[in-house]
Amino acid sequence: MTKTLSPETATTPAPASGRRQPIRFARFRDLALVPAIIVLIIIGAIVSPTFLTIGNLTDVLQQQSALALLVLAEAMILIAGKFDLSLESTIGFAPVLAIALVVPATDQAHGLGTEWPQWMAIPLCLLIGAAIGGLNGLLILKFQLSAFIVTLGMLITVRGLHVGVSGGSSLFQLPPSFMYLGFEKWGGLAASVWIALIAFVIGIIVLSYFRQGRSLYAIGGNVDAAKAAGIRTNAVVWTVLVLGGVLAALAGILETGRLGAIGANMGEGMIFTVFAAAVIGGISLNGGKGTLFGALCGVLMLGLIQNLLTLMSVDGHWFGAINGVIILIALVLSRLTTGKAQE
Amino acid sequence: MVPVRRSVKTIAVAAAVVLAASACGESSPGSAPGGAAGDPNAKVGVDFPRADSDFWNSYIQYVPRFAKELNVNMMDPTNSQNKVETLVANVQTLTGQGAKAIVMAPQDTGAIATTLQRLEQQKIPVVTVDTRPDNGKVYMVVRADNKAYGEKACKFLGDKLGGKGKVVEFQGALSSINGRDRSEAFASCMKQNYPGVTVFEEPTDWEGGKASAALQTRLNQHPDIKGIYMQAGGAFLAPTLQVLRSTNHLLPPDDPNHIFIVSNDGIPQELASIRKGEIDATVSQPADMYAKWALYYAKAALEGKTFQPGPTDHGSTIVDVGNGNLEDQLPAPLVTKDNVDDKALWGNQIGQ
Repeated sequence: MTKTLSPETATTPAPASGRRQPIRFARFRDLALVPAIIVLIIIGAIVSPTFLTIGNLTDVLQQQSALALLVLAEAMILIAGKFDLSLESTIGFAPVLAIALVVPATDQAHGLGTEWPQWMAIPLCLLIGAAIGGLNGLLILKFQLSAFIVTLGMLITVRGLHVGVSGGSSLFQLPPSFMYLGFEKWGGLAASVWIALIAFVIGIIVLSYFRQGRSLYAIGGNVDAAKAAGIRTNAVVWTVLVLGGVLAALAGILETGRLGAIGANMGEGMIFTVFAAAVIGGISLNGGKGTLFGALCGVLMLGLIQNLLTLMSVDGHWFGAINGVIILIALVLSRLTTGKAQE
Repeated sequence: MVPVRRSVKTIAVAAAVVLAASACGESSPGSAPGGAAGDPNAKVGVDFPRADSDFWNSYIQYVPRFAKELNVNMMDPTNSQNKVETLVANVQTLTGQGAKAIVMAPQDTGAIATTLQRLEQQKIPVVTVDTRPDNGKVYMVVRADNKAYGEKACKFLGDKLGGKGKVVEFQGALSSINGRDRSEAFASCMKQNYPGVTVFEEPTDWEGGKASAALQTRLNQHPDIKGIYMQAGGAFLAPTLQVLRSTNHLLPPDDPNHIFIVSNDGIPQELASIRKGEIDATVSQPADMYAKWALYYAKAALEGKTFQPGPTDHGSTIVDVGNGNLEDQLPAPLVTKDNVDDKALWGNQIGQ
């Protein structure tokens, strides 16, 4: 019965008095995963004395920061009622092409021979991400193709470009500036964690309180109604897709710094985890529903589970199965504690 | 000039495909029914297993080079992208184009059986590289003993640690025979010879990100980790060093808190790290020898030669692995600081 109070209703230009309630309920939906996370933390503390140490928890945050940015991107795109599978290829390809444009063309470095100045690597990387997102937008919005198929094609194409440009090898010779963000610590916490955190805070604020952000829910809920209400839907969705590409490229920079090299399979299969995190966190695949805070909880939960399984030294043959079962249990738990039907 | 030649080749391939298609794919009547005997200049088809790993990329570079050296009439190679269904299709294309011998590296060693059966019926000899099919007839398996990788790594770490301490092992994909062989050999060797060593097995599916996260977690849990065994240098080297660097664990070999690291693959970056003292050893998987001997045996098959089990003239041993199949087990040397500059190591020959 509280269904009508889900976030998308908050986007319709309602009188000021009606606005407060939906937000409170939205927050309630936000917290759906919190009980599951608390149970995980309690179990973790019992199972291993290492689990609750600051060092371990901050490491989990660092390991999840790149994934968090991808989930942020995907969550916004899903809320706007679209789809982007190609993010998992962008996270690898954007850094690879940016690096290839600045390093020398030796056998080891795999440059393209342009040897542009090294400081350009990061801006280039973000630009490439934006370009992929923009291209997705062009095909989806102007050519009116299905977002699923377009971005699936883009996933395959961009993955292929990655292998083509890198020659299938891992890139080891990277400019130090490119490694900085994924490796350095700011005030005891990895820089990548700060970046992901700031990105999420901005995202949450914009999607909760700004007209442009709220319009994502309107578009995802009902495009025609959004159009009728005067929202320039294409411009908004296009912006979100471009932003998604940029966030994926940024995630690629963080991941590169963390791992110290770019493997030819970087990001492969990651999109499943991205969707898992987003959907567990309450983002609807049908668009228009869910919050970024929920998605963030999804990311944290997956990270904690992974960490816990490592600490428990779970047998490699059973790792995947146990991982999956715990995720399912957590879903049931969140369903029981909130009483909300998942979509 | 290269693009021109390539386009000519493409046209040739396209023409061949058309011809093969018009001949309805049946190659049994007429053309050399004895297949294996006779023409040493018959076409050899080569399929590469994947293009996205450092080791296989080196192999891909070596194959055309040795084909020229050994005078093998090699067709344009195909690439099966780590998928057995693509491999099956590629083999059909190659035989359709007139291949009289096939070199392949089936990563799924079970699912290739029916293809091998079909090739046997067509009297097309097969050389498999890196993996030994579970079933079916092959002319020769060219492979380094992956169990030996695990054992060599275990002995090196066990000795360096004096038989006690904690070791982290990055396992490859347990669904691949090579990952499994290395894991099992390492585990059983440790159990038998160094019961005082605790091994933490980390499943990674050959993904650097998973290895990095596992190592971080393990170092929090056990700050006294003394050794690391990574089953693939290409995937795990940079992530491992990055974690050790950020946690101040990357110490010179003479430091009492040095973590001993042994790797597998032998890519140039691993050798560079050994020189710098960042890692201690690697088992060099012979990418060059794989290419050379695979083509050698393919040609030998066309000439109708046969081989017997026993030592060979190139420092390896041919072993009867049952099923009437032979396997040339190439040596995979352990590389340490002492022999890292050896010119014979393939990692020293490429990329410079």
